[in-house]
Amino acid sequence: MVYVAGIDIGSAFSKAVIMAKNEIIAYRVLPSGGNYKLTAEQVIKEALTKAKLKQKDITYTVATGYGSTNVSFSSETASDISCLGRGVYYLFPAARTAIDIGGQFTRVLKLDERGKATSFLLSEKCAAGSGRFLQVIARVLQIDLEDIGELSLKSKKGVDFNTGCAVFAESEAVSRVAEGASKEDILAGLHRTLAAKIQTMVARIGLEPDCAVVGGGAKDIGLVRSIEEGLGYRLLVPEEPQIVAALGAALVAWEKVSKGG
Amino acid sequence: MKSQYFAGIDIGSTMTKVVLMSEATLTSVIGPTGPEHRKLANRVMEEALAKAKLAFEDITYVVATGYGRINVPFADKQITEISCHARGVAHLLPEVRTVIDIGGQDSKGIKLKEGRAVDFVMNDKCAAGTGRFLEVTAEELGVSLEDVGRLSLEAKNKVEISNTCTVFAAQEVVARLSEGVALPDIIAGLHEAIATRIYGMLRRLKIEREVALTGGGAKNIGLVKAMEAKLGFPVLVPPEPLLTGAIGAALLGRDIVREAVEKGETLVRSQRRLTEATLFA
Repeated sequence: MVYVAGIDIGSAFSKAVIMAKNEIIAYRVLPSGGNYKLTAEQVIKEALTKAKLKQKDITYTVATGYGSTNVSFSSETASDISCLGRGVYYLFPAARTAIDIGGQFTRVLKLDERGKATSFLLSEKCAAGSGRFLQVIARVLQIDLEDIGELSLKSKKGVDFNTGCAVFAESEAVSRVAEGASKEDILAGLHRTLAAKIQTMVARIGLEPDCAVVGGGAKDIGLVRSIEEGLGYRLLVPEEPQIVAALGAALVAWEKVSKGG
Repeated sequence: MKSQYFAGIDIGSTMTKVVLMSEATLTSVIGPTGPEHRKLANRVMEEALAKAKLAFEDITYVVATGYGRINVPFADKQITEISCHARGVAHLLPEVRTVIDIGGQDSKGIKLKEGRAVDFVMNDKCAAGTGRFLEVTAEELGVSLEDVGRLSLEAKNKVEISNTCTVFAAQEVVARLSEGVALPDIIAGLHEAIATRIYGMLRRLKIEREVALTGGGAKNIGLVKAMEAKLGFPVLVPPEPLLTGAIGAALLGRDIVREAVEKGETLVRSQRRLTEATLFA
């Protein structure tokens, strides 16, 4: 059996996917921390353990993401855009638009019928459109990032925020708490703010169905619902949205192995 | 004739400033706005009255300005901070044609002509280019906001901060620090980043000399120097740069009263209550 691996070292989380031919057999997600090199080694080790494999069983490894150059054991690196496109295509072949809500950036990709990105947008200049916004808010409200989505869905009436800036939203959230607004309503308001930023990006690139949402931000069901409401369109969400780029990297590895023989 | 007193209250995002003035005297108090700023505004006013040994009834006219000016129950009138800053600066520094106000949560550029605002630009949408940028990044570096200006002047090799966003710049400076870059070099880079951002915003205004720097940012010597380096000439800073808006508010109140007296009209004053201000009617 031929095994390949994809590693995605993101600014917030590192992911490893192991495939037997083109079937996922194991994956692992770990916080990236301060040392990408060590995290990369740890995340592949844990994924291999889950797959009951050894490093030498892996024929080809492709690394991607913010810290891809720190992966000492990879055969090659690939761009996050091409990996995302491949990963989305594998999961949702009909997707023509993909939104990736990462820890540092949000990306919107336009995909062709083979999953190749024909154009993309990146929110790199401002934290307001990325998962970073949610991290800031989770800290202020003293809740776990994982609980944000469910909590916000309980809101009856979202608080209106005057600002899109992550820094100003933080102080606005503090004021709203002081005034007695519930965490649920504050979160719902912030989801709408973040969703509006993302919708603007989607509108700029042009929404073409189907549209998938991936990345850590897609695990936030409140945010996903808020984007759906804004776009007026149901989004495709993978079961494990965080590993899509790593999956794409593994698919690049598989292409190499199957073509190169 | 009994002397008349005028009050200006400027409720900013970070500080609340009160000025009481008669023809001859000027009393001022600056207090923090805090998260519950609307509740604290009346306390700053009470403190100023106590300092001036005046009762609230002694004040002929009260003008409120600033970000928290809406529904201040003890003000006779609300006037925008643009008009108040313009009036205040024109009074203190008559030669000024352009005002750069760097506040805790916004920054503005105001063009003056004959003591009035004729044009302005403002950023209150993004923390970059406002006092908050320094507040957040200084905290990340573990440096007090009072020390950053002085420290920035000690820089030998200023670093360039590549991120515009405050959140990302805060991460960037921590990374630089862990790489062993000297603290003053990082801080000087942060000052340059704010100055660049503000200068970019101001370009539309066609900056004319003299230029005055006001707001909390003008109390930071590093920021004054960084702004001067961008502009290519020295700027003027009023003795208490936080007070220009409140002084302008008090002066505009005095103008209103004088005009009413000249025209023989009755002065319209609100039903004042020295209680908590609210943001919502």
